[in-house]
Amino acid sequence: MVNPVLLIAVPLGFAFAIPLFALFWKASTKYIPPVALAFNLIVSLELLTKVFENPVIVSIGGWRPPFCINLVAGPVGVLFSAIIALVGFLVSIYALDYIKEGTTEGYHTLSLLLLTGATGVVLTGDIFNLFVFFEILCISSYALVAYLRDKAGIESAVKYLIQGAVGSSLLLIGIGLLYGLFGTLNMADIAAKIDSVSPISLFVPMVLLITGLGVEAAIFPLNAWLPDAHSSAPSSISAILSGIAIEVGLYAVVRVVFTIFGASSILLFLALLGVLTLLIGEICAFSQNNIKRMLAYSSIGQIGLILFALSIATSGGVTGGLFQLVSHTLAKALLFLAVGYIIYRTGSLQISEFEGVGKKMPLTCLAFTIGVFSLVGLPPFIGFPSKFLIVQAALATKETIFIMLIGLALLGTVIEVAYFFRVIQAMYFKGEEGKPQAQNIAFRHPNKPNVGTREAPVAALIPIFVFVVLIVVFGIYPKLVTDVLNSAATEFLHRYDYIRSVLG
Amino acid sequence: MSFLNSYIYYIGAFGLILIGLYIILVKHNLIKVIIGLGILDTGVNLFLISVGYITKGTAPIFSRPGIDSELMVDPVPQALVLTAIVIGVAVLALALSLAIRLYQHYQTLNLRKIKEQRW
Repeated sequence: MVNPVLLIAVPLGFAFAIPLFALFWKASTKYIPPVALAFNLIVSLELLTKVFENPVIVSIGGWRPPFCINLVAGPVGVLFSAIIALVGFLVSIYALDYIKEGTTEGYHTLSLLLLTGATGVVLTGDIFNLFVFFEILCISSYALVAYLRDKAGIESAVKYLIQGAVGSSLLLIGIGLLYGLFGTLNMADIAAKIDSVSPISLFVPMVLLITGLGVEAAIFPLNAWLPDAHSSAPSSISAILSGIAIEVGLYAVVRVVFTIFGASSILLFLALLGVLTLLIGEICAFSQNNIKRMLAYSSIGQIGLILFALSIATSGGVTGGLFQLVSHTLAKALLFLAVGYIIYRTGSLQISEFEGVGKKMPLTCLAFTIGVFSLVGLPPFIGFPSKFLIVQAALATKETIFIMLIGLALLGTVIEVAYFFRVIQAMYFKGEEGKPQAQNIAFRHPNKPNVGTREAPVAALIPIFVFVVLIVVFGIYPKLVTDVLNSAATEFLHRYDYIRSVLG
Repeated sequence: MSFLNSYIYYIGAFGLILIGLYIILVKHNLIKVIIGLGILDTGVNLFLISVGYITKGTAPIFSRPGIDSELMVDPVPQALVLTAIVIGVAVLALALSLAIRLYQHYQTLNLRKIKEQRW
């Protein structure tokens, strides 16, 4: 059996090999991330079939948990690492053609480091190790947001860095307090000892951990950085940030709440925050004219929905939340990738400039439309079964508060339909009768504007259509993923099984 | 005084953390904000160290005879702080390099004047 350590070690090694390769043969560097991530994808998929009964626990340095840093490759960890590798692989193929200017080897190193950090966060079983991988993820994403070195990118990166650094410091204080209370950093060990101290003394570390991780997860009052950062980065990086980085942040929040603290009293608060995040995100997205900011706000909304679904904390709710997470990752990555070339060809970020694009770039626009349909939850795409599961789970609780909240969440979906269909309307149904080229807002793209009527290149269309196929296939056969999602939900909900599997 | 003696490091650490947060929230100049981040980092590191601190403690080396194990300091927080210092340095370096770029674009470091991106 493959060792899950390779999921972290191989991309990390490749990432640091890229600058060396760049010394001798610069053109080769862009092929390294796809290779490393294809390896990760294969290993994750192989592990995924094996971790159903027993999670694989890797102890580093030959000590037994809780004395060593350990990796826990349970259903949740391997599911997440498979998603990260899949999205990362497809985006890195897209980047082969998309990223041409600037220090490309820097881009490839940092994007691979970002994905390594994300994989580390979801696999680790040690809370300080989680902090370290989180910082790898955050620092590379600060740098990647500023990759284009234009005004907007730098400004957003500064904002993101300041907020992210404060969040990380709070997270570290929380970890320090937990270490002071329990004398251990192993998450399972802390979880096992959590009942031995009074709940009052746990309140401060829990708030610090949720706040610190919530900055990266973009939960409502902490998400001011997200629309700037996601809209100023290159589109391939926006896809990774929206599709992976915030989901990983949310994973960490949920892991802390469910597994470490087993805190059921805070779940209602998180559900309220989730719905608030959803409504704020959707309402802000509605008023945007900039397509990438609209997508970024829509990510906030989706994160809110996922947080709400996970906070229901029934088997159906957590499964639905994880399903929604997978569907959002696929759909949002697809949308950002498709939009990348639509912006490239029209030379504008304004939705009003997209008129008639549907005829000039039929394939890209078809993919974009499918992504939108999936995101708003139309059958037969993957967004439908996931939203259906969430609604079903919320109604099954038979609690008035959850039924009211799911009503508000569905209201958010209606707003989502309204603003997304505005884009589709502009693409397909508005004429192009000699409209003068308007003075549009500052153009942001790694390459010079290549305005034309051509389709996106093949290297971009392949990953886009792989996403489309995945969205349709999982939408028609949700059974393909629900088994994995069910066992992942079980890992979240049954913390004693997690503790027992790690500590033996 | 014994209260001060046993808690002085915690008081210092949280003092630094609060000063750092205050600077980040209130100051307009990006360089000052970055200094605030540095102070915040230092406070967190001092806090982590004081979790494992013992007055007149020694290094935890078990192979050397004649050392009271009661006096050995906890090595784990020190390892954590080493890592946290390295991460803090990376963040500060990145922040300063971004500050240089920001100045090139806007000819100012006043964060209240840099407002192209908004809700």
